[in-house]
This record gives sequence, structure tokens and C-alpha cells, in this order.
Amino acid sequence: MHHSHIDRFAQGDSPVHRLEARAKLVAVLAYTAVLISFNRYTVAALAPMAILPLSMLWFGGVPIWFALRRVAILSPFILAICLFSPLYDHSAHAAAFGPWRFVVSGGWLTAFDLAIKFTFGVLALTALMSTTPFASLLEAMRKLGAPKLLVMQLGFVYRYLFVLIDEAMRIRRGRDFRGAARAPVGRRLAAVGNIVGSLFVRTLERSDRIQTAMAARGYRGNSRSLSVSQFRGRDAAFLLAVAAYLLGCRWLYPAIL
Amino acid sequence: MFPLAMHMANELLSIPVAAATLALGAAIVAVAAAVAGRTLNPERLPLMGVMGAFVFAAQMINFTLPGMPGTSGHLGGGVLLAVVLGPAAGIVTMAAILIVQCLLFQDGGVLALGCNIINMGVVPCLAGWGLYRLLLGSVWKAKPWRQYLSAWLACLVGVTAGAALVPIEAKVSGVMQIPLSHFLVVMVGVHLLIGLFEGLITFAVIAYLRLARPAALALAEAQPGRRKLGRGAVIVSVLLTAVLIAGAVSWFASSQPDGLEWSYLVRGYGRTENALKEPSPAVVGANDWQSKWSLMPDYNKRAAPLGAAAAELEEAAESAESGWPAINGWVSVAGLLGTAVTLAIVYLAAVLLRRRRRRVGPATGSQP
Repeated sequence: MHHSHIDRFAQGDSPVHRLEARAKLVAVLAYTAVLISFNRYTVAALAPMAILPLSMLWFGGVPIWFALRRVAILSPFILAICLFSPLYDHSAHAAAFGPWRFVVSGGWLTAFDLAIKFTFGVLALTALMSTTPFASLLEAMRKLGAPKLLVMQLGFVYRYLFVLIDEAMRIRRGRDFRGAARAPVGRRLAAVGNIVGSLFVRTLERSDRIQTAMAARGYRGNSRSLSVSQFRGRDAAFLLAVAAYLLGCRWLYPAIL
Repeated sequence: MFPLAMHMANELLSIPVAAATLALGAAIVAVAAAVAGRTLNPERLPLMGVMGAFVFAAQMINFTLPGMPGTSGHLGGGVLLAVVLGPAAGIVTMAAILIVQCLLFQDGGVLALGCNIINMGVVPCLAGWGLYRLLLGSVWKAKPWRQYLSAWLACLVGVTAGAALVPIEAKVSGVMQIPLSHFLVVMVGVHLLIGLFEGLITFAVIAYLRLARPAALALAEAQPGRRKLGRGAVIVSVLLTAVLIAGAVSWFASSQPDGLEWSYLVRGYGRTENALKEPSPAVVGANDWQSKWSLMPDYNKRAAPLGAAAAELEEAAESAESGWPAINGWVSVAGLLGTAVTLAIVYLAAVLLRRRRRRVGPATGSQP
């Protein structure tokens, strides 16, 4: 498993990739806030909210199936909640689409509303992560005032995530080949404890080696980066356009609906 | 699979709740970062981040639950991190894990990060670690059984307390219609089970570490020349957690003085969402229908048979035909069409742009 499985499109080059990470981060945060501020019964008003994430994906050259697959993988929890809401909310709502008029229960409206909001939210986040290298995003978070220690930890987690996952997968394969599936429950649980424990000790030793290597390269407690990213005119234009778009989606469009 | 069930989604939160929890989470993480920076040896800083990655890796070591093929439990990690690294470093590391899960794996919403950090980072770390240390006493002198028992109880309480906050946060937001009691029972029930297995695995890891690397269990203990965290800190952290949970519960209770009514939610929306428009007759009507025809008005079993609601629905359909001039089906069709046309234009523009770039690309690339 490698980084490329998750953010494989982040290193590409496109108009969206070239935008500054801060601008994209702020835009996606604002988009999400506007998205969840919609009333849960106004499903139809959500339609234009599809434009921003989809255009970021298309202009960023990210295949739509990649983003949709992320939505599908993450959906079980929210789907369960969606399917429960019709059981509880029986209020009648008049709905109309074209020449047809019908009455739906508030529960079904809520279910659709939640599912659509969830899809759009994940699409927007995928668009951000697939067009922004994680390092630039960390840089953006630091410039926006996140605690330095936290940003540093995020960098470490990202750097060693897949190294350690690879190691864990190797250990797991070894366990499975030795017939762990047929062992009694107690033994299996003890095996998990031993494996995780030994992984833990290996991680301790690895972090000692990392520490030594970093100290040898001049690390004295704070990281330095050779950053060239700066907020330019096109980033400001992008943010302004997003702001206008969000205002239009939230107030203008529902007003004419 | 398990931690997925605990990650709060954006859609279950309202803006005020999301903002409040984000602010609270950010403040706690900032304090924890400051404390960890002071108490932890600066040479230990890479350890925290690598431990975060370790939690991801440990989640790969799955455990098939007995009698439930297909479901598998694995380590959540909050309590283990707090036990090994200390509560402050544990909170920062859990926050880093949750942010990576949110950004990289899109697991849990961006605006729900505050909730997730509180539910899965702050509460398990503080409650779990506090309970562990209270039950354990001195790490060096503790007997093995006592160490196991305290680790296990710490996981059980920490995980469940965090999970119990999910329905409360959702309910305060007013997005959910599932009654709080139902959701709470499901979440607490499921997470008591998860906490049980989390406790067993944490217990097994601690047993291994006791044999293989006893010093690792005391990483958060006194380091030469560093500030020592005494029993007072333990009690304070437990009290803090209790206050946190009690505060959430009482906030929830006071926000609904007239009991748990469905109509409360609708009225709440009428106040906040329709600030620009007058509350339409549809909303008022729906309000009436709702209080009359919900499945369990005021949490009592309905007196009238449910079948009556169907007749009312038909009546509502008729009134939709005649009254309610505000609803015009064609406008929503036009809106959908407009969105679709816009999307088509955006898509075409993106495709054209990419094609042009591809044509230009190799030519400029071959230039020396």
C-alpha cells in the first residue's frame, strides 16, 4: 500500500493544482459550512451545490469514478442513519416536480437530503485532497495558525503511515498463513495482542532511529521548509468567485425557487 | 470497520454546534500541544507522530469476532496512546490521526473534526488515562492483574463515554429525527462491546510490553529533570471529563425545556432557516401534521391508530393541489436543468483545456 492509493492525483498539474493550498482549504471549508446550513427539507435547493466540487474534479483532471468510489466506501454509517429517518418523521410535505405534485414524508426528504449533502461533502474533500499535495496542505495549515507541534505530528503520521501499514500487513499475512483463523478465540486475541505489542516495540525503535537521523541532519526541535508557495492574484480571484457562488447557492437560488 | 461507526459526519451537525465543538477541540488541542511540548523531551517529538502512524498500522491487525463472521474488531488506540505517551501527547497524537483520517481518507467530516477530536481523542485519553492511573497507582509497583484490569476498565469507560457524545451532539444540532434515547442506546450498546474488545486488545498489548519492554509503559512517567504528573493531575482530568460530559448533557436538557418533541425541531428550523422568508404555510401546516400524526407524539404511543395518518396524507395531497401557491414544480425543474447545463459547460471546458494542454505539453517538454 502506498500513498498513491489515496492521494494519487495530488501530484499532478492543472489549473486547480496550481492554486494555493490555503485558498483551496478555505474554499472547501466554506463550501462545507454552506452545505450543512441548508434546511433538511429543501432537497431541490441543493442542486447547484454540485457545481463547485465537480468543476474542481474536472478541471483538476481527477476521474469522477475515483471520487465516487470514495463516497461509496464511506457511505455505510450515513446510509444507516438515512434509512432510519423515514421511520421516525411522518410529517407530510408537499413536493412538486414539473407537472407532478405529490406528498412525501419528512423522513424521506431528510434521508435524501443527508445522502446528497454527504455525497457533495465527500466530493469536495476528495477534490481538495486530489489536487493538493499533503505537504502543501500542512504548510497552509501552519500559515493559517495551527499549532506547530500538531502540524509536525501530521507530517510524521503521513510520512510513516504507509511504511508501518506495510509492516503490519506483512505480519498479518504471516499470521494468516500459519492458520490463525482456526485457532480458538482466546489464542487469537492473545496473538493480536502480541502482534500489536511487537509492532509497538518496532515502532519505538524506528522512532529512535528517525530521531537520530533527524538530529544528524540538523534537526533541533523545529522543522524548516523551503517554501515558495505564496498567495497570488488568481488565488484571490478563486476565493472571490467561490464566495459569490456560495452566496448565490445559499440565498439567491432558494429565493427564486 | 469499527472506528468508522464512531466518526461523526458533517451532515449530522448544525453550524453553531460545529463551530462550538471546533473551537473547544482546537483550544484543548492547543493546550495539550503546549503541555506536551513542555513535559515531553524534545527528542521524543518524532515518537508521537510515528505512534500516530502506528495506530493506523495496528488497525490493520484485525480480529474476527467469535460468532460474527464478517465483522472484525481492531484497536481504536486512544487509551493505549494516553497510557503510553501521557494524556497531553495522547490527545495531540489522536488529533493528528483524526485529521489525517478526515483529510486523507475522508473519514469523518471537516466541520465535524471538533466533535471527533473530543469524542475519540479528548474523552478517551483523559477519562481512560485518568481511570487507568487512579486504579493503578504507581506504574512500577503495580501488580500485573491490577494493570490489566485498569487498562481494560479505562478502555471500556473511555470509548463508551466518547461514543455517548455522538447522539447528544447530533441531537443538539437538531438534524436527527431518531429519538435521542434510541440512538443513545444503540451507540452506547455497540460501543460497550467495542470498548470490551478494545480493552482486551489493549490489555494484551500491555501484557506483551510488560514482558518485552517494561520501560515503554512508563514513557509518560517521570523523566529526569522533567515535571512529574502527580495524583492531583489524575483527579483533575477525571473531574474535567465528568464536567465535559455533564455540561453536554445539561446543555442538551436546557435547550429543550418542553421535552422531546418532534415539533421542536421544525420550529427550531422555522426560526433559524427561514430568516429571509416568512415561514411558509407549508411549514406551519407540516408542523400541525407533525404534531398530530407523528408515530410517537411527545414520546407516548399514539392513541389513534396509525392508519388514520394515511387518510390525512391524502387530504394533504388534495390541499397541495388546491392551496399552497408558493410551490411551483417547474421552477425546480428549471433549477435542475440549469445546474445540469452549467455542469455540462464546465465539463466541456475542462476537457477542452486538458486536450489543449496535452497537445502543447510534449512540444514544450522537448525544448532544452
